[in-house]
Amino acid sequence: MSSRRIRLLIWKEFIQLRRDPLLIRLLLIMPVMQLIMFGYVVAVDIRHLSTAVVDLDHSSLSHKLETSFSGSGYFTITSHPVDEASLRPLLDRGTVTVALVIPEGTEARILRGEVAPIGIIVDGTDSQVSAVASGYASQIVAQFNTDRIEASGVSIAAPGVEAQVRVMFNPSMDPLNTMIPGLIAVILMLSLMAIMSQAVVKERESGTLEQMFVTPIRATEYLIGKITPYALMATAQMLLIAAGGLLWFRVPFNGSVWVVLTGLALFMLTCIGIGLLISLVSRTRHQAQQAMMFLMIPTMVLSGFIFPVQSMPAIIQPLTKLIPLTWALDVLRGAFVKGSSFTALAVPLLALAGFAVVIFGAAIVATRRRISE
Amino acid sequence: MRQTLTRVGAIARKEFTHLGRDPRTLLAVVITPVIQLLLFAWAISFDVQHVPTIVIDLDRTPASQEYLQQYEASPFFDVVARGGDLAAVDEAFDSNTARVAVIVRAGFAEALATGGQGQVAVLVDGSEPTAAKVSQAYAVAINQLHNQAITREWADAQGLDLSSLGTLEPRIRTWSNPERRSSDFLIPGLMVVIIAIVTVQQTAVTLVRERDLGTQEQLEVSPMRRIELMVGKLLPWTLLAFLDVAMITGLGRLMFDVPLRGSFWTLAVGSALFVFASLGMGLLISALAPSLDTANIMAMLIAFLPSFLLSGFAFALDQIPVALQWVSYLFPARFMVSISRGVFLKGADFAQLWPELAALAGYALVMLVVASALYGRRSAR
Repeated sequence: MSSRRIRLLIWKEFIQLRRDPLLIRLLLIMPVMQLIMFGYVVAVDIRHLSTAVVDLDHSSLSHKLETSFSGSGYFTITSHPVDEASLRPLLDRGTVTVALVIPEGTEARILRGEVAPIGIIVDGTDSQVSAVASGYASQIVAQFNTDRIEASGVSIAAPGVEAQVRVMFNPSMDPLNTMIPGLIAVILMLSLMAIMSQAVVKERESGTLEQMFVTPIRATEYLIGKITPYALMATAQMLLIAAGGLLWFRVPFNGSVWVVLTGLALFMLTCIGIGLLISLVSRTRHQAQQAMMFLMIPTMVLSGFIFPVQSMPAIIQPLTKLIPLTWALDVLRGAFVKGSSFTALAVPLLALAGFAVVIFGAAIVATRRRISE
Repeated sequence: MRQTLTRVGAIARKEFTHLGRDPRTLLAVVITPVIQLLLFAWAISFDVQHVPTIVIDLDRTPASQEYLQQYEASPFFDVVARGGDLAAVDEAFDSNTARVAVIVRAGFAEALATGGQGQVAVLVDGSEPTAAKVSQAYAVAINQLHNQAITREWADAQGLDLSSLGTLEPRIRTWSNPERRSSDFLIPGLMVVIIAIVTVQQTAVTLVRERDLGTQEQLEVSPMRRIELMVGKLLPWTLLAFLDVAMITGLGRLMFDVPLRGSFWTLAVGSALFVFASLGMGLLISALAPSLDTANIMAMLIAFLPSFLLSGFAFALDQIPVALQWVSYLFPARFMVSISRGVFLKGADFAQLWPELAALAGYALVMLVVASALYGRRSAR
C-alpha cells in the first residue's frame, strides 16, 4: 500500500469535485435547508388548535368550561355554531379541528349531582392532531372537575393522591430535541449513499475505470482514495447540522461525544457499503440513482425518523429492525436526549457494528473482485 | 404545424426507445409508487395509543393496587411490566421497553387512611415528544379522576353532602376518520409527492444526459425547435405520471377504501397541470445543472423536500412559521395537495378549486417557457 498513490487519487477526486462548483455549494446548502425544513416544519409543536364551541346550555358553568379550554393555550376558540348540525361543514372544510359540545341542561345535571356528558369531537384526518387534542381535552375536563370539588372546600381535609408527573430527558417535550440528532444521521446517509452509489459506475461509464486498472494502483488503495473525500464531505455536512442544532436551535446535548462518534463511524461504514454495492450492481448512473431512491424512501419512512415506530402496526415493527438507520437513530437520540452510556446503548451499537461488518465487508470484497476481473 | 407534430412525435418516440432499453427504470417508475403507497397507508400513523408502561408498587396494599388498576384499565396505557424496585425503571427507559413509569411510594395506603396525601410519581420519557405530551395529559387526568373518587368516598363516610357536585364526563368522538387511520389523510397527498418525485427526478437528468453523451449537438443541428424538443421530452413522462395517478387512485379506492367524493375530471385536469408544472421544474433543473450529480441533488432539494414537507401532505401548514408558509406557495405541490384532498375527501369541484387550478396552470406555463429560454441560452454559449 502506497500512501502517495492514495493521496494522488484523493487529489484527483477533489479536482473533479472542483470542476462542478455548483455541486459543492449544493452539498453545503443541503444541510442548511434540511435544518430549516425539519426544524420549523416537522418539529412543530401542536398548539392553538382551532376549536368550535356549541354551547346549548348557556349557563355560567358552560362559560367557565369554555374559558378553561381557551385558557389552556392548546385550543383557540374560533367559532360558536348554533347547533351540532352546523359543525359538520366546519370540520369538513378544515376550518376547525376540534369541537366542544355542551348539551342543554348540563349545569342542571351537575347541580343535581349527576354525571353530565359533554361531547368532544376531534377531526380524525390528522392522527397526530387528534391524539394530542383528545389527551389535552381529557386533562382539561378532569382539572375542571377537581377545581369544582376544591372550590366546595371539601377536599382540604380529605385524603388524596399527590402525583408528580415528571417528564424525563426532554422536559420541554420539544420535538426539535429528537429531530436534530436524527437529522445528523439522515444527512450522513443521504449524502454518502447519493455520492457513493455513483462512484464506481461513473468511472465505468466514462471509461476511466479501465485506465485506472492499468496503473499500478491496488484495489485497497483505490477504495481508500475513492471513499476519503466523500467521507470528509459528509463529515462537514454533519458538523454543519450539529452546529446549527446546538447553536441556533439550542438543542441540549446530554451524552458522551464518544458514544456519538462510535455510532456515527459504524453507521458511516454501513452507508458507504450500501452505496458501493449499489454502484457495483448498476450498469448506468441512472440505474444507480433509481436504486438509491428505491431504498431511501422505505428507510426514511420506517426508521422512525419522522413517524414513530411505536405507532406502526405490530407486523411492521420487526421490519424496522432491519434498517441500519433505525439503530443509528437509537444511538444518537439516546446519547443526545437521554445521555445514555455505552452500556445502555450496547444493543443498537452492536447492531450497527454488525451491519458495518457485513455490508461494508461485502462491498469491499465485491469491489476487489470487480477490479481484479 | 404538421412538421411540428412529426418532430415532437419523433422525440417522444426516441425517449420511449430509451425507456424501453432500460427496463429497470421503467420498473422503478411503476413499482416505487406502489411500495410507497403500501408503506404510507399501512405503516404510518401519528396516533398515540397503548403506550408501554411499567408500574412499580412499593406500597403493596389494596389502596395502591386500586390506584394502579386505573392504568391497567385505561386503553391508553399498556402495562407491560410490574416491578418491585426502582432499578427496573432505569432499565426499561434505557432499553425503550417502556415510555411511562408509575411509581407508588411506600406509605401510600397509610397516608390515605390518616387523611394525608399518598405519594405517587409518574415519569414520562420525553424523547418521543408527541407520545410524551399525550401520556402526560392522560396521567394527569387519571390522577384527578382517582382523587375525585377518593374525595367522594371520604365525604360519604364523613356524612358530608356532595350531591350538588356532579361530574363532567368527556365523551370523545372522532369524526371523518373514526379509526384514526392515516390512509384517508395521506393517500390523496401521497399521490402528489409520488408524481413530484417521479417526474422531476426523471426529467431533471434528461437534458444533462444528452449533453454528457454528446447527442445534444446532434439535436441542435436538426431542424427541431427548442420548444418542440421540450414537449417531445415531456410526453413519455406525462404518460407515465398519469399511469401512476391511475394506479394510486385505483389502489387507494380498492385496497384502502379512500373515498373519491368529487369529480374525477377535476382530479384529472389538476393532475395534468401539476404533471406539466413538475416536468417544467425538472427541465429547468436540467437546463441549469452542469452535471448529473448536481441535477440529482437539485432535484432532491427543490422537488423532493418541498413537496414532502411544504405541501401539507403530512405536516400541517397552518402550524409552521409564516415566512415558510409564504415559501410553500412557491412550489406547485401545495396547490395540488389542496386539489387532491379537496376532490377525494371533500367532494370539491371546479367551482371551489379554480384558484388552485389557475395557479398550477400559470406555474406550468412559466416553468416551460423559462426552461426552454435557459436551455437556449446555455447552448448558444
